[in-house]
Amino acid sequence: ESILSPIRSFEYSQKNAVLVPAAALGVGGLLVYWLRSRYTIKTTEMGDGWWGSGERPLKGKEDESIRPFKIETSDKEIEDLHRRLEQARYAPPLEGAAFHYGFNSNYLQKVVAYWRNQFNWRKQVEVLNKYPHFQTTIEGIDIHFIHVKPSYVPHGRAVQPLLMVHGWPGSFYEFYKIIPLLTEPAGHSLNEGDVVFEVICPSIPGYGFSEAPHQKGFDAIATARIFHKLMNRLGFKEYYLQGGDWGSRITISMAQMLPQSVKGLHLNFVFISRRGLRRMISVMLGAYVPWLVGLTREDVRRTYPFIQKNIYELLRESGYLHIQATKPDTAGCGLNDSPVGLAAYILEKFSTWTDKSFLHKDDGGLESKYSLDELLTNVMIYWVTSSIVSSMRFYKENFSKDPGLTAGARVGVYVPTGIAAFPQELVHTPRAWAKETFKNIITYSYMPRGGHFAAFEEPKLLAQDIMHFVRKVEQL
Amino acid sequence: CSSLAGIMLLEVFLVLGTVIIYFLLSKKKEETLPFKEGWWGKGQKPDTEEDTTIRPFKVETTEEELSDLLRRLDQARFTEPLENSCFHYGTNSVYLRKVVSYWKNQFNWKKQVEVLNKYPQFKTKIQGIDIHFVHVKPPRLPEGQSAKPLLMVHGWPGSFYEFYRIIPLLTDPASHGLSDEHIFEVICPSIPGYGFSEAPHKKDFNSVSAASVFYELMLRLGFNEFYAQGGDWGWLICTNLAQIAPNHMKGLHLNLASVTNMGFIHLLSILLGRYLPGLFGFQDEDVKRMFPFLKKRLCRILLESGYAHIQATKPDTVGCGLNDSPVGLAAYILEKFSTWTDLEFRNLEDGGLEKKFNLDDLLTNIMIYWVSGCIVSSMRFYKENLQKGIGTQKHERLTVQVPTGIASFPNEVMHTPQAWAKKKYTNIVSFHFMPRGGHFAAMEEPQLLAEDILQFVGKVEKEQLWRKK
Repeated sequence: ESILSPIRSFEYSQKNAVLVPAAALGVGGLLVYWLRSRYTIKTTEMGDGWWGSGERPLKGKEDESIRPFKIETSDKEIEDLHRRLEQARYAPPLEGAAFHYGFNSNYLQKVVAYWRNQFNWRKQVEVLNKYPHFQTTIEGIDIHFIHVKPSYVPHGRAVQPLLMVHGWPGSFYEFYKIIPLLTEPAGHSLNEGDVVFEVICPSIPGYGFSEAPHQKGFDAIATARIFHKLMNRLGFKEYYLQGGDWGSRITISMAQMLPQSVKGLHLNFVFISRRGLRRMISVMLGAYVPWLVGLTREDVRRTYPFIQKNIYELLRESGYLHIQATKPDTAGCGLNDSPVGLAAYILEKFSTWTDKSFLHKDDGGLESKYSLDELLTNVMIYWVTSSIVSSMRFYKENFSKDPGLTAGARVGVYVPTGIAAFPQELVHTPRAWAKETFKNIITYSYMPRGGHFAAFEEPKLLAQDIMHFVRKVEQL
Repeated sequence: CSSLAGIMLLEVFLVLGTVIIYFLLSKKKEETLPFKEGWWGKGQKPDTEEDTTIRPFKVETTEEELSDLLRRLDQARFTEPLENSCFHYGTNSVYLRKVVSYWKNQFNWKKQVEVLNKYPQFKTKIQGIDIHFVHVKPPRLPEGQSAKPLLMVHGWPGSFYEFYRIIPLLTDPASHGLSDEHIFEVICPSIPGYGFSEAPHKKDFNSVSAASVFYELMLRLGFNEFYAQGGDWGWLICTNLAQIAPNHMKGLHLNLASVTNMGFIHLLSILLGRYLPGLFGFQDEDVKRMFPFLKKRLCRILLESGYAHIQATKPDTVGCGLNDSPVGLAAYILEKFSTWTDLEFRNLEDGGLEKKFNLDDLLTNIMIYWVSGCIVSSMRFYKENLQKGIGTQKHERLTVQVPTGIASFPNEVMHTPQAWAKKKYTNIVSFHFMPRGGHFAAMEEPQLLAEDILQFVGKVEKEQLWRKK
């Protein structure tokens, strides 16, 4: 009644005659714009690339065959490794240094002793070969991947294709424990019911058994495009993506490039480099009135003290990133020649990025979460393929083009997204900040424990969250 | 510019921010820096008196050392560089192969050891660790003249060997076409943790510790007054020495003069200095070397400071492989001798290394790191000095009143104009823009550097400036 009365008492006059249509036009225009912007999704350009040596061949189509692949080793390879391990030179650590100066060389000697005397590379190669491996040539380079199908599919169940992408200093091997949980959940007492996956884990070009690009400029966008081509070549039109570390960056790019092919995107690592006044205010207020800026208590616990956790600790832990993003060939040179140096460099991350408190331990807490066999198998993948330098170049290629890693934020992610926030991850991104980029967050979970190498360290927790996410997406 | 402005810009802002706050909160003091006591030996400090003898020392090598090196060079694994990457991704492995081939087949370490031993070397225990140093006296002294003690301190990734070409110009200037009005006896120590100086076993050995140790060294050698010269870490150690013992230092000569305690005026001069150079005391050459600021300073720092970042945080990790692979060590060190000599060398496939240095000298320096196994301890110096951030330490806020001479080389990675330097070095007696040369001045342009040192000392001695502090 009260709303209608001013309208009923509306008097017709010349002034109003102009105002009304103008207002209507204005409101209408805004409405149309708003409606349109909701449905216009920006995508990343796909582009194209050639990464083989020399010039791209003008004639002939690329060989698209998918060739089975098996990892092999030889006596020569093992003897060479043993010789290098035996001749390793160590510098004694400072008294009381634990892991604060980097990898403690006293503990390193113990690891190397195990590596030389107990670690069995031939046996580990068999372990690696237990899943089917393949190689196929895309954009001039050989892409390596494993493809694991469920051995038993219950009647009427759909098998979801899932592409899982590793990061640095990881590899496809990080997924070996989680794969059976995803392809055979029932067999591992994971009653997530109706979700079963076939899993594809490629190696990023320049990592492990994927050929390294020979040309400059190979970044996450190129990787995303190549992985889309891979899935396409395998016959998949729609698939799920999962990633952490560089895998997160790559799968995000994939979702932005071809959203129509991505049924869902699951991430265990989210790094949003969204600077700006709004963020700064959110940070400053968040410590005192978190609810006002959309932060939960858990967010506050993980994000503050802000300077300490997000600036000081990040600076303390990003030296590797800085040198790899500027001088990868220098940084990697010695590591490709000294397996002990390579192990120290890589295993330092498996220590500190799993739990920051491991810095205080003389042994870096490594064996409290991982076995030496699995840690060294990952290191061996870098060693036998000589891929440490090319793996580091990925940092330079990405940071040169997009120093702030802001491209992702500008384009936005519209596919259904699931985020698993692990407590010991390097940075915590609250949902309130994530949703500025991820417009369609279906699940956001505070994981009870675990760090950066989620699939490696807490495969069951991660698998459960992936399934929880996918079930929700399938219900949509 | 291809910069890492994102996360790293945050780093720079944090540093600048911290620095501004400190500037605002602190007052410029003229107090001295206290001598830093310390004991760096293994385990507990013993109750017995320290052995203060000075023992002669000779560099030695063995067949085993040589064959071990050769074996490692033979088994080196290289990674092909990206096409057309030159030195932009770091040391180019195609060129590195050539260096390694020379190292294996032509480089003669036994002969180089003899070269190293041509100057008298000594060791003495100070604060629990063995300090190595070269001590060269003039071969002859004109009637009535005495040799002036000159302490020359190297940096990273250099060593006492960097001074081998300049030493004769300073101890025997007449034979090298220089004026012999002032003749020096030169003392080049190795920073603890570098070369043949023992590495500290305890945490917290920073530039003030090194300065204190070298101060004790000079006193032990019987020098009550001396000159000091340095670049790279040597710059900071000699600066600290001037702050600890201003009454003993007649003059301080630097080929690098960085000022980390910046303030509001500095920021203003960065923003406006290009347009109003006169207002901020900038000369034409300053403007030429510093601007455009973003490109020449910020981008350059980001691109070239990765090594400092990782060494200041995880030295034991990054040094590990380098102590085990001589090829990796060479790649790491040579990259600096290339880029810090001339940034343009990054565009060359061979990094321009042999334009200014010869492979024998470069490899001898690397061998010092290799045979002493000191790469890790040399890197720890970065953490001990930088871990709390730049511009946060007490000594960075203190000024220097000792007469100072600055030789500003054009290809130094960062240029510090006199206008900024004089805020810290309050008694600049000479400041010269050198015509050519980069970071490793003593090794690359020994003549130019020696001439500048001589003219600086000349000024100080003529007016007995050290008395006027």
